[in-house]
Amino acid sequence: MNKNFNFCIVDDDDIYQFAIKKTIESLNLTQKIIAFSDGEEALNFMIENLNNDEELPDVILLDINMPIMDGFQFMEEYIQIKPKLGKKITIYMVSSSVDQTDIDRANRISDVSDYIIKPIKPGKIKSIIEKLSMQEN
Amino acid sequence: MKVNTNSEITAILATNNDGIVYQFNTDAETLLGYSSKEIIGLEKAPFFLIEEEFNNFRKDIANRYKENLDSDPYKLLAKYNGYDSREWTIIKKDGSRFVGHSTLTPLKNEHGENTGFLRIIKNITNQKETENELLRKNQVLNAAEKISMMGHWQLDTIADSVKWSSNLFNIFEVDTNQALRFETYFNFVHPEDKAIVSASFDKSIKDKVFYDLLHRIKSTSGKTKTVQLLGEVLTDNAGNVIEIIGTCQDVTQQRMAEIKFKGLLESAPDAMVIVNDSGKIQLVNKQAEKLFGYRSQELINKPVELLIPDKYKHTSHRENFFSMPKTRKMGEEGDDLYGLNKNGIEIPIQISLSPLKTEEGLLVSAAIRDITIQKIAEKKIIEAKNSLEILANKLTIQNTQLADFAQITSHNLRAPVSNLNSLLDFYNIAETEDEKVILFEKFEIVINHLTETLNTLIKALKTKNETVKNIETIMFDDVLIKTKEILSGQILKTGAKITTDFSQSPHIEYNKFYLESIFLNLLSNAIKYKSEERAPEIFIQSVIEEGVQKLMFKDNGLGINLKRHGHKIFGLNKVFHRHPDAKGVGLFMTKTQIESLGGNITVESEVNIGSSFNINFNK
Repeated sequence: MNKNFNFCIVDDDDIYQFAIKKTIESLNLTQKIIAFSDGEEALNFMIENLNNDEELPDVILLDINMPIMDGFQFMEEYIQIKPKLGKKITIYMVSSSVDQTDIDRANRISDVSDYIIKPIKPGKIKSIIEKLSMQEN
Repeated sequence: MKVNTNSEITAILATNNDGIVYQFNTDAETLLGYSSKEIIGLEKAPFFLIEEEFNNFRKDIANRYKENLDSDPYKLLAKYNGYDSREWTIIKKDGSRFVGHSTLTPLKNEHGENTGFLRIIKNITNQKETENELLRKNQVLNAAEKISMMGHWQLDTIADSVKWSSNLFNIFEVDTNQALRFETYFNFVHPEDKAIVSASFDKSIKDKVFYDLLHRIKSTSGKTKTVQLLGEVLTDNAGNVIEIIGTCQDVTQQRMAEIKFKGLLESAPDAMVIVNDSGKIQLVNKQAEKLFGYRSQELINKPVELLIPDKYKHTSHRENFFSMPKTRKMGEEGDDLYGLNKNGIEIPIQISLSPLKTEEGLLVSAAIRDITIQKIAEKKIIEAKNSLEILANKLTIQNTQLADFAQITSHNLRAPVSNLNSLLDFYNIAETEDEKVILFEKFEIVINHLTETLNTLIKALKTKNETVKNIETIMFDDVLIKTKEILSGQILKTGAKITTDFSQSPHIEYNKFYLESIFLNLLSNAIKYKSEERAPEIFIQSVIEEGVQKLMFKDNGLGINLKRHGHKIFGLNKVFHRHPDAKGVGLFMTKTQIESLGGNITVESEVNIGSSFNINFNK
């Protein structure tokens, strides 16, 4: 649990961004939190930092419903650039949607680790980090 | 030739009372093969006769005169002054035999005393053969008549005498000894057929032509039989009828078979029409009469085309069938077929054709089924299907709307609520007053947003459910003017150029509030999402295509990546540009309003070239 992870939040909801940042920060476990308002911004950032492990996130909390490029569209693009990435990134899809079609669709994408329904409680962030540490060791 | 001469030869033998031959003529020499020298003076029993026949002769004579069976037949004949004439088998000198006719007569002197016998022999072999031949032929004829259950008859109209062949007696079950008269036959005629038979006979005699006749008889035992009468009327030189001859055949079985066949035909559930190879109707059943409205007599020997509507009359079809006869069906599976009834009405039918081999050649039997009811049912099913499709479409639309609302609840309502929950958690653990103030500001944002979303939803719901829409005639130009007034600030600021063509369809029957809202949303979008590089140019056109009233808004703005956003372009709170004013409400409301009045809206767009929104007001 010594290693600090980079968190990336992709969500157009300012209030959510505010809340999740506050939650992660309160755990004191992370090195960096970056946030984007839509998929395209996040994707552009990753393309610019393909081999920059310092900047690339370890975890992405990806919202489904966003303007410009939504979560699913982001995943399509991500799969294209994934082979060029120097770092293993764990992606969680996060949404306020309890619609089963959204849940099923997210779970069909192999690069998505899990589907999390908003709001995210502090305990959930904790268990995500614990899981990541176990994989690291 | 030799046989013929023999038949005219008459052998004469004369014997005295002692049996000694004293005369033997030349014909006797020829016939018996002996010379007169060999025979004359001989004293012995007739050597040329067969003993068995002689014994029969002796018995016959004794019986004739009721004398002792051992009596000398010669003496008996002499005693009673009789004679005997009969057939004898004669043995010639060379041992060969022939059948002769021999007459034995006692000879008497002037005192009446028996002096001897005279035997005259004629060769009747040839006659006998002819007779046998006749007998044999008669037997064959009898056999033939029996086999064919046929008899023949002769009616001599002059002598009023009637002759029947023996098998005719069998057919009528009459004793062969029965005296025959014309009435004999007539008495056997079935009571119900008497009138026809009598009329036909009278007509035959009058016209001097025999009219063939099929009628029923009641035989002696009471059996009903059907007979076929064929005949010929014979006249003398003066043309008077002298004789009628003919045959009478028991055709009960054939008739039964025919009746059976007709019965089968009548009992068939379908109309049956039997046609010969020249297309003439040969037979129809009751169902066919009913279906086509003709009586059987009106159809027999008429061309089958009578029952076929003009557009289907193709004699080549018939010829094809006869050249390759096999069972097949017509009028099924989209191949609509019609029959024509007497009143000229076309009836939807199905036909099953099958070849029928008969003695008269190839016939075609057509089983015809009236499918009017099926057609009506089919039409009903199609109608039901169509209205089901309409219903299904409606349901699909409603389902889509429901899905839209589910989506809205999921994303647009649940998200702010979950934010409120998070904020509440932070608020509860907030340690400083400053922190609480910041959080409270956030609460306000979320609550405002939530209120906005709810208001939009209520507006949309109201639009969808409003049953009475205030429809009025609206000029497109009027709406545009009003919209331009509202947007005058933006138009001035951006230098937007708006052109229109409402010439094809200058006005529309629509809800005024909706139409103004549609214009405002589409026009303000076109200006809001203008290209950075050029002033907005907007073209609005109204057209009517195939009865559908359409309106098109075309701009030269930023455009939308439809591949990416096409599926959600009209969704609530969907934005596609990082524009501070993008809220994702306008297009959602526009779509809701258009759909609530039975229309639809589509979009074509290319990034950096422009978008074109197309509205079908009534699809």
